[in-house]
Amino acid sequence: MARPVADLIATPSGVSGADASVGLWRIFSVFLRLGSTSFGGGTAGWLHRDIVLRRGWIDEADFIRMLSLGQVLPGANGIKMTVLIGQRLRGVLGALAALFGLLAGPFVIVLALGAIYARLSGIALLHHMLDGAAAAVIGLTLATGLRAAGQGSPGATGLAFTAVTVFCVGVLRWPMLPVLVVLAPLSIGLAWRQPRSG
Amino acid sequence: MREGIGATLLALIAVFAPLSLLSFGGSNAVMADIAQQTINIHHWTTEREFADLFALSRAAPGPGSMLTALIGWKVAGVAGALTATLALYAPGAILVFAVSRVWYRWRGSRWHSAVERGLAPIAAGLFLSGGLALLRAEPAGWPVWAAAALTTVVLLRWPKLNPLLLLLAGALLFAVVPV
Repeated sequence: MARPVADLIATPSGVSGADASVGLWRIFSVFLRLGSTSFGGGTAGWLHRDIVLRRGWIDEADFIRMLSLGQVLPGANGIKMTVLIGQRLRGVLGALAALFGLLAGPFVIVLALGAIYARLSGIALLHHMLDGAAAAVIGLTLATGLRAAGQGSPGATGLAFTAVTVFCVGVLRWPMLPVLVVLAPLSIGLAWRQPRSG
Repeated sequence: MREGIGATLLALIAVFAPLSLLSFGGSNAVMADIAQQTINIHHWTTEREFADLFALSRAAPGPGSMLTALIGWKVAGVAGALTATLALYAPGAILVFAVSRVWYRWRGSRWHSAVERGLAPIAAGLFLSGGLALLRAEPAGWPVWAAAALTTVVLLRWPKLNPLLLLLAGALLFAVVPV
């Protein structure tokens, strides 16, 4: 388990794959564009396409490492990836530039939509259309959740934990935190006893 | 009913900042809590308004949880929108920033892998529960359930399909078909 102290001190920005020439303003403007054009949620997917595939600012292995880290921490996935990518490119300032860039566009746009809605909310047709759009987005959420449940060959144990979580939180509507406090150590403990082999 | 603006902003922070640190599996995981707090506990919106704000927030680009910006805006204007957004995002962002510096060092260790694999199925379950909470918050009832189920199947079959098309199709369908 013991690692050299120098390893712990070294900054992640020195690891690999980072393009040191990317300036703060550039980070901000690229994330501003990303935030303002990535419709339909799934920001992490849009980030991958732009930052890894198109610009090559971060390499594939680094991106996947960030994703798996993000998985075990709370928060919106797109936000976590944005912070990690910005941090890798330019440290704390890079993370801030990326985060504010990502949020600025959607923030202004959503408030503009809200202002329009406030004026039109008496119109029944608008409610119907919003219901229809919401149904599609909920479908996107469920499809993503089902795909996540099947990811990385979870086996019967993993699927059981997913099902129990859905039953307790989604169906019985128990508060999330106590469920998490009971299930997470159990699930981690079982994963500990079965080290990944094949 | 009308509190001071300062008290309202503090209430927004008190509701959303803890949720930031509880949203394992993404912000959908706390959607049930957001709905409960907003509609039933603080009475910031009605069910109808909540459903509309949710759809609006998803019609906008960017990370999905701009819903909180709209809730903050509804109760306390632009200051409320900024406060709610920062309250929901900042704690999680700071946490991931801090943890990443340590986390990468332990890659490949047994506990690292156990934590990752142990939390993944629960995260998926919370994500799905968030979807169910959204369905329940929809006042339109079964047509929304049916359309959501249909969308789920379509997206599982064709994962690369642009969700925007489905959003548009859903909006048009519900505009044309009376429910």
